Amino acid sequence: MNAESVVLGEENIAPPAVAKVGEGWKFVQANGLRIGSIIAMLLFWWGMTFLFPPTLMPHPVETLSEVVAIIGTGDFFSEMGATLRRVGVGFGIAMLVAVPLGILMGTVRSLEHFFEPPVILGLTMPGLIWAVLAIMFFGLNETSAYAAVSITICPMLAISLWQGTKSIDKDLIDMSTAFHASPWSKVVDVILPQLISHILAAIRYGLGLAWKVVVVVEMFGFSNGVGYQVVRGFNVFSMKQVLAWAITFLIVMIFIEFGVIGWLEAKVTRWRPRVQAWRR
Amino acid sequence: MAYVHVENAVKYFPREDGSDMLVLDRVTFDTKEFGITCLLGPSGCGKSTLLNAISGLEHLDGGQVEVISNGGSLHSESPRLGYVFQDARLLNWKRVEDNLRFALKGMKIPQTEWPQRLNKYLELVGLAEFRSQFPLYLSGGMRQRVGLARGLVIEPEVLLMDEPFSKLDQLTARRLRQETLQICAQLKQTTVMVTHDVEEAAYMGDRIVILCTRPARIVEIYDNPLQPGQRDMDDSSFIQFKKNLLNTVLKLMEAEEEIS
Repeated sequence: MNAESVVLGEENIAPPAVAKVGEGWKFVQANGLRIGSIIAMLLFWWGMTFLFPPTLMPHPVETLSEVVAIIGTGDFFSEMGATLRRVGVGFGIAMLVAVPLGILMGTVRSLEHFFEPPVILGLTMPGLIWAVLAIMFFGLNETSAYAAVSITICPMLAISLWQGTKSIDKDLIDMSTAFHASPWSKVVDVILPQLISHILAAIRYGLGLAWKVVVVVEMFGFSNGVGYQVVRGFNVFSMKQVLAWAITFLIVMIFIEFGVIGWLEAKVTRWRPRVQAWRR
Repeated sequence: MAYVHVENAVKYFPREDGSDMLVLDRVTFDTKEFGITCLLGPSGCGKSTLLNAISGLEHLDGGQVEVISNGGSLHSESPRLGYVFQDARLLNWKRVEDNLRFALKGMKIPQTEWPQRLNKYLELVGLAEFRSQFPLYLSGGMRQRVGLARGLVIEPEVLLMDEPFSKLDQLTARRLRQETLQICAQLKQTTVMVTHDVEEAAYMGDRIVILCTRPARIVEIYDNPLQPGQRDMDDSSFIQFKKNLLNTVLKLMEAEEEIS
């Protein structure tokens, strides 16, 4: 045997050619298909305009130019600002209640039994009913919007954190006890970081619920906010205006989902190596 | 420095049917001062329970555990104990050095001492250049080194180790044993280590306490005739000592099988 035969030929160590094609295809799959899906929806919409009169099915281009107009006049920022503030404050209150409540329910058995019925009942109650109750109780003012949003999403956040807390690693709690960590440090350094993925999932679902409720509350008789603008469009039977406001809403939600929450997620989970080999 | 005095330790665990099972049966021993004491016994014999009793994570139903430092008991003023776990049990969301800081904070070590201690102990376990890495990016052996550094950085009176090498591959475990032995000798660190591996006990232990299975009783206490520096796994005197230990453990297990 000569020495050369043991040396691997270049063709033996080159990565399989498929890998590169796979990378490119994955990129197309990930982003191309997303864009394609949006285009398909717009085409479908455009197709529908041939079947219905413009009062029922406005043209997509006209509607999108209405969106641009709304954003251009500055209405968008004041109206959306009001809605965002209601969602933000309501959401913040819900988080302040739900995070400690969920953690306590996950760690203390008696509290789990005590709070389980109200949390489950709260979850079953439709957001619309909370909205009605809040307006009847607080009147047509900001407080009722904050209350409706926070009461509606609080049970969902609490359940998510409660289940998350039950699944945390008990060995790490023992470890922190062995090193005399204070109760505060146990919560902040040991428990909360393990709940991050549950909290992020809860934020996503919670925001989705919060939008729905806040629009309903605003429709009842607020004088600003996206819900109010939608009702105004409804009153003059302008399908174009209703759809345009709905679209501005979607744009903001997409920005929050991919911009804010995506950024937050990347930031708080950078300690975790990304291994997704099982996904196709 | 310090050693641990365990006297008549008794511990029961509740069974499913409501009765109590005796886990520790009047266990009495002293650990070595400055050296490593190995608690050797088959799996499930109550070694870890004993270690947890020493650490205070588990309360005894009878008897007592004392850490005696410079002749006086530290029982009342809660001694400083370092803990190294079987699986590193790191906070994966904290960088290596922040895992050490977590222990320093818990043990209320003045912050002015932190930088110097972090440098010293990360250097000692060979992780100085990985200090700002996140644990999940490290190998299993390196994570266990972080665990060791975390146990040492609080400069404990006694370091407790619960089968710290049993989850590592053999080559990594071998290297880490050797390094841990050197580090403990260099620091004159009083250490209690639980193991079910006879060779590991013969190699690491200055004193080896052999326990029998449920309930754990002390069967025999050996002092290692070889100094840490003299222990060579291929040397005949080491092999002889290991054989003695192994025979004792095997005889013990046979005797127990006969009873049951």
